[in-house]
Amino acid sequence: MIEAVERLVKLLESENVEWEVFYQFGRSGSFRIERETLERSQRKFYSGIGLRVGLKGRLGFSYITGLHPGEEELKKLVERAVKLAKISEVPFRGFPAGERVNRVKGIYDRAIDEIPFEEAHRLALEYAELMREKKGEETLSGSLSLAVGTSGVVNSNGIELEERSTYMGVSAYAVLSEPPGTGSYRQSFTSLQPVEELERAVEKAIDEARLSARARKLEPYSGELVLEPNALASIMEVFLSNLYGDEVYHGRSRFSKPGEVIGDFSLVDDSTLPELPGSYSFDGEGTPGQRTLLVEDGTVRNFLLDHTYASFLGMESTGNALRTFRSVPYIGTSNLILEPGEESLEDYEGVIVRKVFGEHTANPVSGDFSLTVELGYVVENGELKPFKDNMLVGNVFELLRTLKPGRKAERISSFVSPRGLVEGRLV
Amino acid sequence: MEWLIKRAEELAGKHGVDYYEIRLVKVTSRRLVMSNGQLRELSSNSELGIGARAFNGTWGFSSANDRERFEKAIETAMKIAKLSRGDAEIYLGEPVRDEVELKVKKPFTEVDIEEKLSLVKEIDGLLRGEKIVSRTVNYGDSIVETFYFNSLGSEIRTVVPRIRLGFSVTAKENGEMQDFWKSFGGTLGWELIEGIDLHYWTAHVKEKALELLRASSPPSGEMDVIADPELTGVFIHEALGHAVEADSVKNGDSILAGRLGEKIAVEGLNVVDDPTLPGKFGSYPYDDEGIKAKRVEIIKDGVLVSYLNDRETAEYFGLEPNGHARAESYSHQPLVRMGNTYVEPGDWSFEEILEEVKNGLYMLGDKGGEVDTANGTFTFGAKLGYIVENGEITEPVRDVALSGKILDVLKNIMTIGNDTRVEFPGYCGKGQWVPVDDGGPHILTRALVGGLR
Repeated sequence: MIEAVERLVKLLESENVEWEVFYQFGRSGSFRIERETLERSQRKFYSGIGLRVGLKGRLGFSYITGLHPGEEELKKLVERAVKLAKISEVPFRGFPAGERVNRVKGIYDRAIDEIPFEEAHRLALEYAELMREKKGEETLSGSLSLAVGTSGVVNSNGIELEERSTYMGVSAYAVLSEPPGTGSYRQSFTSLQPVEELERAVEKAIDEARLSARARKLEPYSGELVLEPNALASIMEVFLSNLYGDEVYHGRSRFSKPGEVIGDFSLVDDSTLPELPGSYSFDGEGTPGQRTLLVEDGTVRNFLLDHTYASFLGMESTGNALRTFRSVPYIGTSNLILEPGEESLEDYEGVIVRKVFGEHTANPVSGDFSLTVELGYVVENGELKPFKDNMLVGNVFELLRTLKPGRKAERISSFVSPRGLVEGRLV
Repeated sequence: MEWLIKRAEELAGKHGVDYYEIRLVKVTSRRLVMSNGQLRELSSNSELGIGARAFNGTWGFSSANDRERFEKAIETAMKIAKLSRGDAEIYLGEPVRDEVELKVKKPFTEVDIEEKLSLVKEIDGLLRGEKIVSRTVNYGDSIVETFYFNSLGSEIRTVVPRIRLGFSVTAKENGEMQDFWKSFGGTLGWELIEGIDLHYWTAHVKEKALELLRASSPPSGEMDVIADPELTGVFIHEALGHAVEADSVKNGDSILAGRLGEKIAVEGLNVVDDPTLPGKFGSYPYDDEGIKAKRVEIIKDGVLVSYLNDRETAEYFGLEPNGHARAESYSHQPLVRMGNTYVEPGDWSFEEILEEVKNGLYMLGDKGGEVDTANGTFTFGAKLGYIVENGEITEPVRDVALSGKILDVLKNIMTIGNDTRVEFPGYCGKGQWVPVDDGGPHILTRALVGGLR
């Protein structure tokens, strides 16, 4: 426990309240490359302490930034949180009690933690150089970021946990003009990656831009089509709020309890997977990370829950309380996995949609969506005919009813999914 | 502050940095969220942070929120700049010393949190109704105090208050669910809240959610679409706004690169971005590079006349700096962003526009949008609409997203209404979130409608 938190805990122990302290500190270095030139480099530091206080069934929350508060600042933090608990009327459902936490492997890499900024900067220059080598007609840009962060939870039920994790993010973007075409690639990791990963990012972006520049609008189509993991991620985003415990509790979900049959696929949230960027040993309230079957063979089995909404719904927390020191816990996914199925879709011949955009214009409550196709292609006798600018339209509940996952999964940051065969419509 | 200004100067000397700029930002904010009569959040917070940038033909940036690291952040930015060395140039200009506080009639800081709580409760009560299965009310206000200084000797203090209120309902019938919402916001005080007819707007939100339950999905395909002032706002934000942000243009990421002076839209179309409009949600006095915010004519009579720019792109394109560099917070570097973007009024009345449509849609409201500026394709969402047949509004249709190609759609605008309104606050995302407003008059254009029929 850090020194400021120890002092804060001492202050809290003399108050007649239940309490929880969540703290974070860390730093990041990130680099932005434009037109194959390193243009912006930055190094950021952040730290802060968030305090939740439960008093007579009501919750108060406040935070401070920095880890070097004076005694007066700490006292004021406690006063503010207690005062808010008195007037706030936000229901307090207790804090989690300590359960055994198993440490997730491979979410901290000393190589990222200890890399000197100068060396990270050199890596970014190398990335820019690599773009200059590989480019044809394309204009290339991208980014590279490295971060290390520590977060900790201490509460009046005896929880005292701390975890450190590292992150590496890589993105590449390629643009062609006349005719216009764009390609992008984005991936994240928990450990320092070799230069081959940067090469792969650039190559993927270039390949996609070349495909995109050849793409034309497809005639309206209705029927069987394949969604690549990227497009499936967009579809899942439209659907997923229906599985959030707060949305369920407040009547903004299709589901009021588990049990409904919605298709024939399995969807899992799993924060315990080694080396994945969405993994953690415990969530923002100190609940252990877990593997949660959200949908099992088409049946809704569970929701994404934190301690509060689990309590409201009479369920158990699934360890999905995400957090920053600036906020009370909010529900979110850790790593989302669409389980592979039986379909062999690697050599699929027909209409394939790779990427769509505009999912926040969709309606998760009614399920209606119309998403612009950034890139798709038709495969005929092994030959690729790319298309774009159509819209993929439908209703997410109807679409998922037809979903048949393929065999081979691919990872896009914290989303792991195979291709999926669906009945769909392009206009 | 004096010691920090002095210290920055010393550090710049030590590291041989020519240009730097530093923002000290204090944010004080309150937020209340209530769902179904139950309070979900009531917070009142304040924080102080620093963002420091140094330029050496390329930018070095560092930020911190622990006071003990403020000086280190400045030095880190300078060290990074020295390490980086590029060949870009920036507009410098004369030093500016100014203090600006956006004035409000009734400061929300003088309204206590209990009163804000009773407002939220009142609205929650008004949103109750048959078939309404969920209600949410969201209130927030913030004061952002910025002290900006740079190596030219600029020292600018600004105080920007911002207030917003939003509420939504979800209606349910026979297994069908729909929602509807309304947002208000501005760089205003409590007078914004006092000016809202809560009875009218809560009834409106409920009525529209129920109407959506009965509506069928719109047809699909390319067709004539009348956009209401709110939809025109998101349309112009996506179809034009992002593609004229000069950083995208410079980076080869905009289809409007190299088109200044070119006719890219219909005659009579005038589009403006104006952060100096009083009281609007996207208004600000100075941008985050210490440049005074300016009204920018982007399209004048169909001709692309300017890009929105920052210090670097103003220099690069030889444009007059127009103060559009905005950062989400002290811990973000400014990017070229919009403020309040709108289409100026034409001379058609709504009735005349309606008469033009034989077979099409009248779509209303803003559900957000997205654009691929390099491909020149954009999407924008409407909250609901109606089928129009022979100039008559007929059956209601559900919310839907529409899509278009930048270079086609601006030329496809057939009529421009005379009823411009800019009162549709929102947040725009470009890796960072900033408050914006947009709007315009009713317009008639052609777009690809993603309906299910």
